[in-house]
Order: sequence, then C-alpha cells, then structure tokens
Amino acid sequence: MSRRRHDEDEDEIEDEEYEDQDDQLIDDEEYDDDMEKRGSSSNRKRSRSSFIDDAAEEDEEEEEEEDDDDEDYGGGGGASKKRKTARKGASFFDLEAQVDTDEDEDDEDGGEDDFIVDGGADLPEEDDGRRVHRRPLLSREDDGEDVDEIYRRIQERYSRTSQGEYDEETTDVEQQALLPSVRDTKFWMVKCAIGRERETAVCLMQKCIDRGPEMQITSVVALDHLKNYIYIEAHKESHVREACKGLRNIFVSSKPMLVPIKEMTDVLSVESKAIDLARDTWVRMKIGNYKGDLAKVVDVDNVKQRVTVKLIPRIDLQALASKLDGRAVAEKKGIKPAPRFMNYDEARELNIRVERRRDPMTGDYFESIEGMLFKDGFLYKTVSMKSITAANIKPSFDELEKFHKPGEHGDDDMASLSTLFANRKKGHFLKGDAVIIVKGDLKNLKGWVEKVEEDSVHIRPEEKGLPKTLTVHEKELCKYFEPGNHVKVVSGSQTGATGMVVKVEQHVLIILSDTTKEHMRVFADDVVESSEVTTGVTKIGDYELHDLVLLDNMSFGVIIRVESEAFQVLKGVPERSEVSLVRLREIKSKIERKSNVQDRYGSTISVKDVVKVLDGPCKGKQGPVEHIYRGILFIHDRHHLEHAGFICVKSQTCGLVGGSRSIGDRNGNAYSGYGNLKNTPRIPPSPRRFQRGGPPFEFGGRGRGGRGGHDALIGTTIKIRQGPFKGYRGRVKDIKGQSVRVELESQMKVVTVDRSCISDNVVVVSTPYRDSSRYGMGSETPMHPSRTPLHPYMTPMRDSGATPIHDGMRTPMRDRAWNPYAPMSPPRDNWEDGNPGSWGTSPQYQRGSTPSRVYEAPTPGGNYSDTGTPRDSSSAYANAPSPYMPSTPGQPMTPGSTAYLPGTPGGQPMTPGTGGLDIMSPVLDNEGGSLMPEILVNVHRGDESLVGVVREVHPDGMCKIGLVGNGDMVTAMASDVEIVGPRKSDKVKIMGGAHRGSTGKLIGVDGTDGIVKLDDTLDVVILDMVILAKLA
Amino acid sequence: MFFHIVLERNMQLHPRYFGRNLRDNLVSKLMKDVEGTCSGKHGFVVAITGIENVGKGLIRDGTGFVTFPVKYQCVVFRPFKGEILEAVVTMVNKMGFFAEAGPVQIFVSNHLIPDDMEFQSGDMPNYTTSDGSVKIQKDSEVRLKIIGTRVDATEIFCIGTIKDDFLGVINDPTTT
Repeated sequence: MSRRRHDEDEDEIEDEEYEDQDDQLIDDEEYDDDMEKRGSSSNRKRSRSSFIDDAAEEDEEEEEEEDDDDEDYGGGGGASKKRKTARKGASFFDLEAQVDTDEDEDDEDGGEDDFIVDGGADLPEEDDGRRVHRRPLLSREDDGEDVDEIYRRIQERYSRTSQGEYDEETTDVEQQALLPSVRDTKFWMVKCAIGRERETAVCLMQKCIDRGPEMQITSVVALDHLKNYIYIEAHKESHVREACKGLRNIFVSSKPMLVPIKEMTDVLSVESKAIDLARDTWVRMKIGNYKGDLAKVVDVDNVKQRVTVKLIPRIDLQALASKLDGRAVAEKKGIKPAPRFMNYDEARELNIRVERRRDPMTGDYFESIEGMLFKDGFLYKTVSMKSITAANIKPSFDELEKFHKPGEHGDDDMASLSTLFANRKKGHFLKGDAVIIVKGDLKNLKGWVEKVEEDSVHIRPEEKGLPKTLTVHEKELCKYFEPGNHVKVVSGSQTGATGMVVKVEQHVLIILSDTTKEHMRVFADDVVESSEVTTGVTKIGDYELHDLVLLDNMSFGVIIRVESEAFQVLKGVPERSEVSLVRLREIKSKIERKSNVQDRYGSTISVKDVVKVLDGPCKGKQGPVEHIYRGILFIHDRHHLEHAGFICVKSQTCGLVGGSRSIGDRNGNAYSGYGNLKNTPRIPPSPRRFQRGGPPFEFGGRGRGGRGGHDALIGTTIKIRQGPFKGYRGRVKDIKGQSVRVELESQMKVVTVDRSCISDNVVVVSTPYRDSSRYGMGSETPMHPSRTPLHPYMTPMRDSGATPIHDGMRTPMRDRAWNPYAPMSPPRDNWEDGNPGSWGTSPQYQRGSTPSRVYEAPTPGGNYSDTGTPRDSSSAYANAPSPYMPSTPGQPMTPGSTAYLPGTPGGQPMTPGTGGLDIMSPVLDNEGGSLMPEILVNVHRGDESLVGVVREVHPDGMCKIGLVGNGDMVTAMASDVEIVGPRKSDKVKIMGGAHRGSTGKLIGVDGTDGIVKLDDTLDVVILDMVILAKLA
Repeated sequence: MFFHIVLERNMQLHPRYFGRNLRDNLVSKLMKDVEGTCSGKHGFVVAITGIENVGKGLIRDGTGFVTFPVKYQCVVFRPFKGEILEAVVTMVNKMGFFAEAGPVQIFVSNHLIPDDMEFQSGDMPNYTTSDGSVKIQKDSEVRLKIIGTRVDATEIFCIGTIKDDFLGVINDPTTT
C-alpha cells in the first residue's frame, strides 16, 4: 500500500485523503445519528477522535515520508533511524490494526498485496503455512528492488502509525478509535463445508492472487473454533458473493451474514486457552491404574500431544517380580496397588533389574525398571494429553505433602501456587483484604486491596515510600494472614470451618479449629477473615453434628465429627469411650426423644442440665447434658478435648449441679437466687413457660416442693392446640413423660394429649392463683368474686345469681317459667340429658324451693352441665353451702332463665306466650336481668304493694329498697319485688342484654318491644320490655 | 489486662426480698449474677468493688418483680492481642498445650512453641528441650504472649505463643 502511495503523486493522495475524510465526516454524522439510540458519548468521541487521528496520521505520514527521503539520500538519518528501530518493537497487533484502517480507505484502489498484507494483519494467529505463502509473494512483487528498499518501506509502514502512539500515551479512547466503525469494511459470515474452513480460506487467497484487483474482498478468516463458517471481510455483500463464486467448498445458496459492528472485535479477539499445559502444573490422570491420581507435568510435547508426568508409582513389586520370572500372575482385577515411592533396593532384592540410564535429552539419570522410568522414587510416564485433565485441579494437602516427600522444596511451592491460582474464583480478592505479593520484584510486599479490576488488583502497600497504590496482577498476589487472625475456610475440603491462625507457612495456614481444637492446614487462598464461629461441614443427609443417632446394631451414639462421607460416632457405651466410623447408610435414625432420668441422688436430669460426673474414668468432668437415652447421658464438656468434648456416662454416676438451665430465663437469671431456692431442676424444660408465668405463686408458700416435678403444670388449665381435641380447654390431671392427661372442660372426660400440643395461654382461666384464692375465700365469702365490676358475670346481680343461696331461692320461679318451654331450647335439653346426675336434688336446693315446685328442680342441672368444667366443679365444693350452685358461673348461658327472676309469680313475662318469645328473642339473652339498684319497684308486703327504689342488692337475693312514700328502707326478698314497667318517655334502666346496666329513655313501645334511646351513646335500640325497668 | 470500671445493670428483685435488707439483698444478688461472667466488650468481671448508686425501682406488671438500675464498680479482666500473660498449663497434647490465666483459656500451638522443644507423650505429656533443661507439662507456669483472641458471649479464648524472647516456663512445679 505504502509503496503504491509512494508511487503516486503526493498531492493526489492528499486530495484523495481529504475527500475521504470529508466522507468520513459525513459518515460520522450519519453514524452518530444511527447510534443516537445507544446514546453513548463514547461512540461519538470515538468517531471523532478516529477522524482526528487519521488526519494526524496523514500529516505524520507525509512528514515521515519526507524523512525517509532524507534518509534515502543519506541525510540526517541517525536520529530518525534510531527512532524507527526503537519503534520496531512496538509494532504489535493494535498498530497493525491501525494500519488496517488506513488501508481500508485505500481499499477502493484494490491491490493484491494490500489484501495479503491485510490478511496477515488480521490474522495474527494464523499459523506458519500462510506466512510461507506470503514470503515469495512479497519478493515477487518487489522484484528488482533492493532489500534495503523493502526494509525501508516496511519500516515506514509500521513505524508511521506507531509514532502517534508513542508520543501521546495510549489511552482507552485511542484504543476505542481503533475499533471498526461503519465506514470500515464489514465481516460477512459465509457458510462453507464443515472441516474445510482453512482450505476455503486458502482457496480464496489463491483466487485473489490469481485474479488480482478484481477481487474486492479484503481478507478471509478461518477460525479454528468455528466450524462450518469462514469470515470474509469486504465492503459489500456483492463483493463477497463475487469472491465466493466457483468455490466448491462454499455454499453459495446461503446468504452471507453480516457480523454486527459490535461483534466484529469478538470475531478476531483471541481467547487464550485457559488450560495451557506448562511444566510443573498439577494434573490428574483420567484413565488406567493411576486414574484420579495427582501428577505433575515435567515435559510437554505439543507436537505429539504427549505429556511426561511425574507420578507416585502404584507398582506391585511382587507381582512384577513373578511376572519377570515367567510365572503366571493372576491379575487382581480392580485392586490397585497403593501408591508408594519406588524403592530400588527392594526391587533389586526381588531380582528385578534396575538399570540406570541417562536421558539423552535432559541429561538426567533415570532408573529404569521394566521399561518404566523412575527418578527419586517417582514414576515418569509419558502419556497422551487426552489422558490427563488439567482443569480445576485442586490438589489436596495430603497429595501435595506426598509429592514433597523426597525433600524437594522451594520452587515446588510456586508450582502448586500457580495451579491454585489458576483455579481461583472470580472476585477472589475483595477490598480490604490483606495480601502479599508472591512473585516478581515486589515479592513479599504486603498490602491491602484497594480496588479489583479484571485481573489486576490495586493494592495499598504496607511499606512507606511507595506509591499510594500499586497495580499488581492477580496471580502475583496471595492472601495474607497473620497468626492470631480468626478466619473462616471458604473453599476446599474444610469449607465452613473457622479457627484461629496459628502459623503461616507462605501460602499455607495452620488453623486451630474453634470446635475441634485441632489443627487444620489450609491454603491462604481458601480462607477469609471472619469473626464467625462455625464447625465446617456439619451435616450429611438428615444427620448433623452432635445428633444422637441409632445405629444398625441397635447401638447408639453421638455424632462427634462429620467427615466427607462418614460420621465419627461416640458410642453410647459408658465408662469406655468407643468411637466408630459410621457411614450414612449404617445409621438407622435420629433419636430425638426427650426423656428425663434420675441422677445418683434421685433428682431428675433433663437435657441441658449441668451435671458432674462423680464416678468412673471421667470423674470430675462437668457439663451440660446434650442427650439422654436409655439411662445414658451424653455430656458436653468444653474442656474435654477428645470426642469433640462429649462424654458418655451412666446417669447414675452423675450428680446434678446447681440450678437447671431449663427454668432460668434467658437473661441469664439462671444464676439468680430464686432458681436455687426452689429445687427447680426437677422441672422438665417444657413447662418453662408456666414457670415463668407463675413464679410468684410458687413462692406463695403453696408448699409444692414435696410433690413431683410436674406440679407446675398439673392443675393448671390449658388449651389444647393440636390434635382431635384442638381448641378444647381443660385442666391438667397428670403428666407422664411427654403426655399430659387433660380433663376437658366441655366434655366430661379425661383425654391424653402430647405435651407439645397444649398451650398455657388460657388467659381467662385461672392459673393456680385463682384457684388458691378460691380455696381461701370460697367458704367465707362466696360472693366475693362478684365484686369485680369488669367481669361480665361478676356484676352484682349476675353474681348473686351465681351464688348458691340466691340461686337456691330463685330457682323455683325461674323453673316455673322455664319448664313449659324447655323443649324450645334444645341445648338445655342436651345438658340435662347429658348430665342426669347433675340435677339430682340437693338438700340445699330443696330448701329454697317451695314444695310445689320441687318437681321443677331439674333446671339447675342445666346450669351445672353448662359450666361443667372440672375446675369449677372442684371449686364448687369449696363453696360448700350448695354443691350445685358454684357451678353457676356458667349460668349466663342458660337462655333467659334469669330474666324471669325478678318477675313475680304473677308477672306478665311468665306467661307462656311471652316467655316463649323471650326465650327465642335474641335480645333477651342469657344475661337476663335481675334487680338492679336505682330502679323503681313494687314491693309486696302482705297484701299491700309499695313503690320503692332499689338501693342495694345483696348477692343473696335480698335487696334494700327505699320506699318512695316515707323514705323508709325496707329489706325484701327478690321474689317479693316487682319491677315497675316503664312507660313511654320514662327513664329506664336496662337489665339484660348487651346494654345491661345502661340507662336510657323509652321513646316508644311496640308490643312487647320498647324503643330505647341510650343515654351514653345516644343510640336507639329496640329491647324487650321485660328487661326494662323504670328508673327512679 | 485488668480494668476498674463502672458498669450498670438492671437488677430484678423478687418482692420477698423487700424490706430493711433490700439493698444488701440487691448487692448480694448482683454479685452472684455478675461476678465471673464474661462480656465480649469488657471481658470477665472479676469482682465488684463497690456500688455507685441504685436507681429507683420499677415494679413490673404482672410479676411484682422490681427492677433496679444499679451502677457498680468492678474489676474486669480482658486479654488483648499482644499482651504478655503468665498462665498455668492445664493440659498438654501433641498439638500444643492449654494454659489458664484466671478465667481465660489460652492455647499454645506446637507451632508456637520453640522448635527445639519436642513433644513427649506418656503418662505426663510434656514439651521438653533437647537437652531436657526446660520442660512444659501440666501445672507448669509459663509466660506467654497472646496473639489472637476469640470473644464469645460467655467465654474468651486465646491463642498464645512462647516462641519469643523472654517467654516460656517461669516456674516448674517439678523442680521446685
């Protein structure tokens, strides 16, 4: 090209160039427009700068040509020549590529030698064959010109562009400028016969040579890794088609495909092969006796594709000897001799001839046995490259150690390093990592990672007087740790383990594992600094470290170590630590059952309690119980270094120490005095929650200490969370191991449920506290609970209903009201049916009821069954006066029964009609009214009826009434009192329903319903007249 | 290193301890609770030396417990990296030996024991120099340097070295 240009008139060239540049400008603009959507300013910059560069280059070109002329004529050559020679070395790919762009502009002119040279430029990886072609071409072309001339021209060509490079340092922008743009030739992908890619390329080249300028393609590329296609570089598709015409290897039918500009660089970028078999790399054998063995490459023959590797021999000398003796050796199929270094003396003893040979190539001496070469005990074997793998070799420590055996050191480390580095993951280094340089001039310089880019790592060196950051290749770096660092292993066989660095041996760390307190050797590359404490691999399948497992032969033990495929299990044999290696399949199951055992002194030990060994070889050891099984304890003593700290002892040889952790709360109060005061260790861990809720009561001097450990739960009311009885409440009667016997509140039966299925969050119901208060108070003041106004059924009236006496007095009336309609309330029926015993007549009851009403007695039974909770019944007896009555807390559920209570026998509500309605009326619910203070009543005294205001209502059914007339206070039985029904516009008090207790104004009456406007909320509600009482 | 510092703690006291001796009870409970414990920040609490002040108690709903904020002075012990300590050897094995300096357990790996000391197994495992002049065995007293600490919630574990000048056995029980 340059020659051509040289031949031409300079001016012409310039003109042409400028034209070109104009075109370029336009092109650029178009290009920019095209690329608008990419919106990348770098593109724009690139095109512009390419323009500028080109211009600059042209100038330089001229300059240089002048220079060259000078040179040619022997003038002032010195300096420029030196400059050129200096640049010679700089003529690498990029520069050639730049040349390429220049050439592209000239391509219109065509020219075979341009093409060929181009080809060379574009195909730096092309092998020798092509170069061979080129040489004669050039010489032919340059016939008649002297060598100097050629040299000069070549110099000129390559140095010209490099000048720009040299003066202004290569920047990214300039590199960008070299990228192809729209004005450049394009790549077309052409389909050709498979396996004929190279051939096709050569054919095309030949065609170009033959045809000359009429071929308008600029280059052909055949890539080894791309089958079935070749790339042709040309401006137009038609040029490609033209060139391909007549070539049998190219399928003309297939349309050439344009390679997008973005991908053009990728086409020609050389992917360096990840695996290059170099000497001293670690490989693994793929086949044969040595399959899987680690080997080290000692020699590579790329031509023959063979590698000589160094192996630890696996040779059965006995077998070899007998074979040499001519004896038939039974081939032991499948049994590989163990790897062992060759012992020549041993071989000689077996009459195996050991020859000493000198390798003609290397001059090393080898021992030769039976055609196999040995050196230093290693076997040197030449194998096909295909029979080894070099990718992702991670030599384990043991293997490396073995290779180290015969006293090699130093460079060997480097070898293993290089292999290790090759396997590094991306993002290996992170900012802040402490690193050390292991190769090159800066070896042993320590520093910290500042920034990581692709392969280079910016580090901040530790030494002063160095630049702030240094850029080092990743492979020259190694992580650096100091003794005392706490680290975590992130790859390799020990992955996950943590420990403290004890010693650093170059890139190998010795770590003291946190859990096993044993040493581990790991590569510095495999660890990261971490404050975390873990154990490494702790799980295979379902079994985890420290699990108690049942083994095949019905023995059991604790997993004390998890190895790659097996567990170390400390067998449950007390007084003798037996450890066995157990495979996954040998484990039957995990034992998760929790049980309690007795220690020597009879106290119950449960898991997590701290015990001390009192007898046997482990005497004096102390620690928390981790597992209990068949009377055998597994104790974890952190000071015990064997078996991961586990000790296996009989429970009888142990004594419980101090307070049980199971009751201590999480704040560490396990140490607190309280814990020790109450012999708590006996309480199994699970009821902890109860415990926490209840300590005060425990201290309340209930004197539970003497009873078994389960009291905390026994007697409490719980709710069943799971199972067929889910949702039921009941009182715990008994606890046996994991099962709890619960007496259900709602069904008169006792069921057994699992402890885990109960919950104690039954707020409403009394914990022992409530119970105790009942015990205490029941006899004296049965009505006491009623004083809590908040409690729905504790308002005086209601409660009075609940109290025995009152009830007793009242029932007759209520019953009378009730009975006719009993069938109308089915639930009631059920209760009665279900609890026939409950309505057995009681003297108490009888006393209160008039003889005529005796037959109606059954009703209380309804009440009773309704509330038939065990708890209540038990407390019932405490309230001795009337056994039935205490059960009445449930009474609220009896529909409306009490609603009638206030009613005098003659009261209207008692009529069947209304009664029926009432019962069914939703408004008139179980909260039925009774007397309330401040309501206006009629008091029947003998025959006279006085109007009075209820002042006080006693739970026993008596009430104090202030008579309206004279202001006298009289006391009357509820049965003698009749509520004065309100009229329209009267102030009323509501005695039943949701609004019970509130006052309002009766704004209207509709049949039996009254329309009431409530005072407090101003709501208007419709209520049954019977629960409305006129307010005084 | 020992420090004398002031710490604060909320003490929960059961109502039955209320009364004239409330303060005494509080202090004794505090001692029971705190002495011998270990916190990552401060290390082991060795002893309580005094009570700075006891704040106002707050009655806990539901339990009747009362929480008092108590400020107390105490001596704490916290090992540091690089610190030189004297410790008593508690166990010797082939990987090194364990020593205790008060509540702190220190492991000295065999890599951090001078190279001329060899492990001798047997009834009384020990590390002995080749000439037998120095012996590290159980109950020996050694001076060591802490090179790493691991602080857990409830314990502090250190690794130490005696591979340095002026470190090693300072008192051998067998010879004295």
